[in-house]
Amino acid sequence: MMNELERVKSTRNAWVMLLLAGVFEIGYALSVAGSEAFSVLSWSVSAIVFFLLTLYALSVALKTINVGIGYAVWAGIGAIGSAAFGSIIFEQTLTLLQVFWLGVIIVGVIWLKLASIENIPTSEQGLTSS
Amino acid sequence: MLSWIYLSIAVVFEVTVAISAGNAKGFTRPGWTAATLLSGAIATYFLSLALLTFDVGVGYSIWTSAAGVGIVIMGVVFFGEKLNWKKFSGIALVIGGVIGLRLSGAA
Repeated sequence: MMNELERVKSTRNAWVMLLLAGVFEIGYALSVAGSEAFSVLSWSVSAIVFFLLTLYALSVALKTINVGIGYAVWAGIGAIGSAAFGSIIFEQTLTLLQVFWLGVIIVGVIWLKLASIENIPTSEQGLTSS
Repeated sequence: MLSWIYLSIAVVFEVTVAISAGNAKGFTRPGWTAATLLSGAIATYFLSLALLTFDVGVGYSIWTSAAGVGIVIMGVVFFGEKLNWKKFSGIALVIGGVIGLRLSGAA
């Protein structure tokens, strides 16, 4: 059994890991786009590195954080970040209307992930007791 | 049109990434870890093909959101989860947003 202090520490570390996973996911999305279907070496290597980093960080974070909340935050950071930085780095400008619809999708996916929380409690209990 | 097919294939493999990553437990389980990496590689390749046409913000968001919808549908069809109004409204938002993007010329 973990004591209270260790529990708080491990929760905090898991959230740092989740935010990192979100940042890595932005790097992954931009690299995949920059790789031009894996024909540009530098972007391709960076895509593979970010792919491994984001999966690892997410997987570690989800050992502690509820899967629904974890995926919601991760997907939200990735989607907003790639749209924002994509428009800057690749000069892919979006119209205000397109930004609105993009927002609808992102709200939808975050909402969807949060809606699946109620199915998780049994596996959460299984995790903490193991 | 071809870019939508690439994106759809990428979505299917992203659903298997989500399922296997959830079971890989910090990459401590070899079988699930291998399944995660393999389906992730396939999903990534088809996403890269789709992103030759789509802007990254648009293509990536549709990809990750459609995978989210796919995961919920898998849960309902194969794992006996209930489709409550929250999930239904989330799916409706994603689909509505994708149609909106299509009509606004972004996709």
